[in-house]
Amino acid sequence: MEAVVCIKPVPEADSRLRVAPSGATYDPEGLRYTLNSTYDEAAVEEALRLREAGAIEKVHVVSLGPARAEEGVRYALAMGADDGLLLETGPGDAFDPGATANLLAGAIQTGPHDLVLVGRRAGDDETGMVGSALGEHLGIPSFAFVTGISVEGPSGSLRLRRFTEAGEEVLSVSLPVVVSLLKGAQDPRTPTLPNILKARRKPLVHQPLSEVLARLPAPPVRSLPVRFDLPAPRTGARLVEYQNPSEAAEKLVRLLREEAKVL
Amino acid sequence: MPISFDLTPEQRELQGLASKFAREEMTPRAAECDRTGRFPEEVYRRAWELGLMNLNVPAEYGGSGLPLLDQCLITEELASACGGMTTSILANCLALQPINLGGSPEQRERFLKPFCSEYRLASFALTEPGGGSDAGALKTRAIREGDSYLLTGQKCFITNAPQASLYTVFATVDPEKKHAGITAFVVPRETPGVSLGREEDKLGQRASSTATVTLERARVPLQNRLGGEGEGFKLAMATLDSTRTPIGALAVGIARAALEHASRYALQRSSFGVPIAQHQAIATKLGTMVQELEASRLLTWLSAWMVDQGKRATLESSVAKCYASDSAMHICDEAIQIFGGYGYMRDYPVEKLLRDAKLCQIYEGANEIQRLVIAREYLRRFS
Ligand SMILES: Cc1cc2nc3c(=O)[nH]c(=O)nc-3n(C[C@H](O)[C@H](O)[C@H](O)COP(=O)(O)OP(=O)(O)OC[C@H]3O[C@@H](n4cnc5c(N)ncnc54)[C@H](O)[C@@H]3O)c2cc1C
Repeated sequence: MEAVVCIKPVPEADSRLRVAPSGATYDPEGLRYTLNSTYDEAAVEEALRLREAGAIEKVHVVSLGPARAEEGVRYALAMGADDGLLLETGPGDAFDPGATANLLAGAIQTGPHDLVLVGRRAGDDETGMVGSALGEHLGIPSFAFVTGISVEGPSGSLRLRRFTEAGEEVLSVSLPVVVSLLKGAQDPRTPTLPNILKARRKPLVHQPLSEVLARLPAPPVRSLPVRFDLPAPRTGARLVEYQNPSEAAEKLVRLLREEAKVL
Repeated sequence: MPISFDLTPEQRELQGLASKFAREEMTPRAAECDRTGRFPEEVYRRAWELGLMNLNVPAEYGGSGLPLLDQCLITEELASACGGMTTSILANCLALQPINLGGSPEQRERFLKPFCSEYRLASFALTEPGGGSDAGALKTRAIREGDSYLLTGQKCFITNAPQASLYTVFATVDPEKKHAGITAFVVPRETPGVSLGREEDKLGQRASSTATVTLERARVPLQNRLGGEGEGFKLAMATLDSTRTPIGALAVGIARAALEHASRYALQRSSFGVPIAQHQAIATKLGTMVQELEASRLLTWLSAWMVDQGKRATLESSVAKCYASDSAMHICDEAIQIFGGYGYMRDYPVEKLLRDAKLCQIYEGANEIQRLVIAREYLRRFS
């Protein structure tokens, strides 16, 4: 059994975004990209744990993005993934979640993919749609909001824990399957320095997007972003000066009662 | 190879690892350890687990054997979170370097491997109460007795001494011979006759520990002598030649933190109706600080690059260490000034940076000595 983890490079969480000259998206210039941290790291971690438990033989990583996305793939390799594939986009290439899933599926289809893992959503556009769209394009079931994967039940199946508004579900699913992870069972590991050095020697293939596109029966349908605005700067914060905590509490309570009228 | 200032993807990853570690493990404890002087063993242990210690130990002994430039990139990131913790993390490199450089293959196997297979600390013990700058005049005696030596003397200001399991000690077999009598030994902590003084209470870098090590007829087997009798002085100098550059990077890290704090503050604090960054007196301060920081970083990179190319870098490493540490002091001083009264308060981060930066002008060869070395090296070109 082999797993494929889809990862997306996103700007670091504390980046200061600017609108791109096109006005349609944010400007990638000068941003530092990381692996879509927490979400995708959790997906990689989960796959590695299954491999360590002997349930999976190999963990492959695939990413769709510009050449610099290599850093995110390398990070996953340093965490312990076996090999990486980067579907390299060119300048100006932009894909919506459906098209992204279509392209990823085109690449994933060519190799073993018993378990396809994605993070719950991307840290930048937050659409959370690629997982389900991947299931559609691969023609296999997909499950979202998963909080744990374990190897139980008949062979060729996995046990998933799923979090819903109504409560927690435990499902037995047969493979192959796409799983979108809400969170992992364990904090993602930090790659150690020796593993970063070792990851340099692991295979990482750059595949030009044209090759993937050529394999698709039809060009991916896509929406195009038209306009992108940054949130308006926040106003209205008011600083309350105080000498000691009890005075602070007193002043805050008065403001909440008399001005905000929430008490 | 043409010069390039582009870091490789691998270098960026190492930098990323160090910066993540600094942000997650060091920053949250920096103020507390500064206040209490606590030695945050959990941070050092985690640094070891991630491979951020013993950066200079060759891969064949289980280390990562990183080029010096990569070591400097890591050091700057760590030091931007806490100078003191960085000193304690780097101390292993300093202590193990004489073994790297002067040890026989058997000694390297015996002494270096344990540091890579488990978390352990080592100390470099050169300085004595009677003087640090004039290392050729050190007084600790090594008297040969059969196939061992008896070491007697005192080593002071030794980083990580209270926690170290091994010391690299420099002693003289004959004080008459001055430099030519100095010999290096590896002294395990449990050796009878080795004792520790109380931990020093320091101005800055308080997360690091510093203490005196006293040797009282401590018996060290011949197999623990690094190189021959009289080869110790050269070994100590060669060690410091390669560890001086990371001290420059350490100073750059502290200075960078000060400059970043000062920049953010200058944009946010207003006086006379505008952010203080718009007053020219503050803007020109920042302009000078940026120049000093950039120059310091480039000097450390140059020096590290020369060492990595196998070139002699005595002048460059002294320039890097001296300039970066003097600049760090100036940058931290100006950062406090930009913070005004708040800068003087312990609740704000910049006064700690000044206290931490000060040490960089003193240890691993005081800056006065660096200037003498630089002038001597430079003047050789004219004679
Ligand atoms: C926190 C801390 C940690 C340290 N860690 C270690 C360690 O791990 N291992 C270790 O061996 N040492 C360590 N040291 C010692 C450090 O390297 C010495 O303090 C330093 O080399 C200076 O020696 P000294 O203190 O004896 O000063 P001195 O040599 O007495 O010098 C006093 C002053 O005179 C100046 N001076 C001396 N000679 C000359 C000259 N010829 N021309 C001009 N000026 C001169 C010096 O620059 C200095 O300003 C540490 C020191 C500190 C403070």
